[in-house]
Amino acid sequence: MSWIAIEVDGKVHRVAAARGRDGIWISIGGRSAFYPDPRRQSTGPGSAAIHDEIRAPMTGKVVAVHVQVGEAVTEGTLLAILEAMKMEYRLVAPRAGLVEAVHCRAGDLVDLGLPLVRLMESASDPSITGSTTESPQ
Amino acid sequence: MTARRPASRAHRSADTKAPARSAARSPAKASPALDRARVLVANRGEIACRVLHTLRALGVPGIAVYTDADREAPHRWLADEAHALGANDGYLDPERLLAAARETSATAIHPGYGFLSQNAAFAQAVADSGLVFVGPSPAAMRALGEKRSARATAERAGVPVIPGAAECNTVAIATEAARRIGYPVLLKAAGGGGGKGMRRVVGAGEMATAFAAAQREARAAFADDRLLIEKLIHPARHVEVQILGDGRDAIALGERECSLQRRYQKVIEESPSPGISDGTRRALGEAAVALARGAKYANAGTVEFLVGPDEEFAFLEVNTRLQVEHPVTELRFGIDLVRVQLEVAYGAPLPSPPPPRGHAIEARIYAEDPAREFLPASGRILHLEWPHRPGVRIDTGVAEGQDVTPFFDPLLAKVIAWGEDREEARQRLIAALADTVLLGLATNQSFLLDILASDFFVRGETHTTTLEGWSWAPEPAPPALVEAVRKALRTGPANGGQGSGAPRDGLGPGRDLFSPWRSLGPFRIGGEATDPSTDPRGSR
Repeated sequence: MSWIAIEVDGKVHRVAAARGRDGIWISIGGRSAFYPDPRRQSTGPGSAAIHDEIRAPMTGKVVAVHVQVGEAVTEGTLLAILEAMKMEYRLVAPRAGLVEAVHCRAGDLVDLGLPLVRLMESASDPSITGSTTESPQ
Repeated sequence: MTARRPASRAHRSADTKAPARSAARSPAKASPALDRARVLVANRGEIACRVLHTLRALGVPGIAVYTDADREAPHRWLADEAHALGANDGYLDPERLLAAARETSATAIHPGYGFLSQNAAFAQAVADSGLVFVGPSPAAMRALGEKRSARATAERAGVPVIPGAAECNTVAIATEAARRIGYPVLLKAAGGGGGKGMRRVVGAGEMATAFAAAQREARAAFADDRLLIEKLIHPARHVEVQILGDGRDAIALGERECSLQRRYQKVIEESPSPGISDGTRRALGEAAVALARGAKYANAGTVEFLVGPDEEFAFLEVNTRLQVEHPVTELRFGIDLVRVQLEVAYGAPLPSPPPPRGHAIEARIYAEDPAREFLPASGRILHLEWPHRPGVRIDTGVAEGQDVTPFFDPLLAKVIAWGEDREEARQRLIAALADTVLLGLATNQSFLLDILASDFFVRGETHTTTLEGWSWAPEPAPPALVEAVRKALRTGPANGGQGSGAPRDGLGPGRDLFSPWRSLGPFRIGGEATDPSTDPRGSR
């Protein structure tokens, strides 16, 4: 951890900073945030066209998994329920698709960002597309 | 404050040659009632530390319990003795806690808040084991702690309650009840709280839709679709009164306003309330005392009210325990509520209430990420700095190097500021939060700072729905600055330079985070460890 005085556009900021895993923590005037390393960010979204890894939005415990491999889901379908710090989070499908893989089981402890469910575009299989209804929203 | 320690004064004057060390070791008997007390603190986090601090000040042995995830938690090291509970549900397991009390020869159990603190069966089991439960009697807990009986007790004591609160299991019954009570009304789940299954209904035209939605939500959340209907008080302030009872008499120690909540979680609390007149303040205190006397209440408790636009108020519920936000009351009244709790539990009479002074505001620092819908945040605390200055108190249960795990509630610390008036307290709190550094996991600090600086807060226009209607998002640091910091951390101070976006100086990375000097917490060889977080009023 370091205290650093940094001048940006003529203004000097007193910054507390520390290196974390895959990024840095910065606190300025009591406002802190995590800034991921640029390298890590660039590997993310590009390949998301066909497969979507649905990742853990927080570190916590998987309370229940509500889908199975091969299942067709619509936008908003409940995939899993996570719990952390007494708060329940309902992980839902961001779009319609087919569940290609389930990487977690009820009772698992998962870290933030860990892939939990992989969705595949259902368009590749007409029979499944047929049974999938787009959410009205 | 309370019993004026005659015994210890007599002792000191009679035996001036008593070695300094033993005097320091047992400033005890500060409270004669607590002579044989040995208190197991059945909790964790900041409240366990808070209770242990008072025990240390009184010279009363304190025993901590800790579960697997809390092996390195500060409350364990603050106690005279610590007992392992094993799996993380240990704080909720009466059997394991009572066994811990037996094995450590405890004479009392302080439950803190949350966990088993409002569980009448646990209080009974503690008493049945021959131990003192630092809280109200099981009978008082049942009379006031359960919503239905609390409402009945309030009505008997002549305390105004929210009109309505009838069960309504069809739209027709609900519509008829609403016509009788008058719109707007609130539909809520009978089987649980937390805002699930709750709908505001402003007119008869909305009833059918709202009723169906509330019922659906209640069924999903609690497997129970029974609904209650009551008069909606809107906009409402959440104002609560601190009560203390000894089973014979009861007193009120002012009110706290806790209207600023997010998802039914309190965020900022203050005392006195900025939005009620002295007449209302008096009426609230009298109502709370009537309720406490009626239930022969012993120990600390909180009576919650909703206060409407014309300052009409209605009883909400009683929390039969110490409240998270109790420090704002302590700072205003110069009283140690935990000490009073202990003394009353051991049979001492109530202290006479000291006069209040000034204004106190508390901000709760939660491990949650404002940039990601306030989701819980876990991680290792890489760096931690608290401000120590006049009028500022920090209640916390975390230390640098500690892992904040997802197993317990997200409260990391409370920063409380006292001032001669509200504005001084507000400015002190803003400055204290601005100088609080916690790196390694996301917290809501920026949210707290922006609330305290907002127009609505400055004007004291705070209602239970204020934060949900406030559009707020954290502002990230400028990218140029982030890049400069990244570079500075990579290169260290030797390469720091001047100019735009360049680091000007720095201590450099590489301070050993896991050195025992950092991870063991406060200690001093040959003396008492001190923890700066207990200073109640700063040096005013």
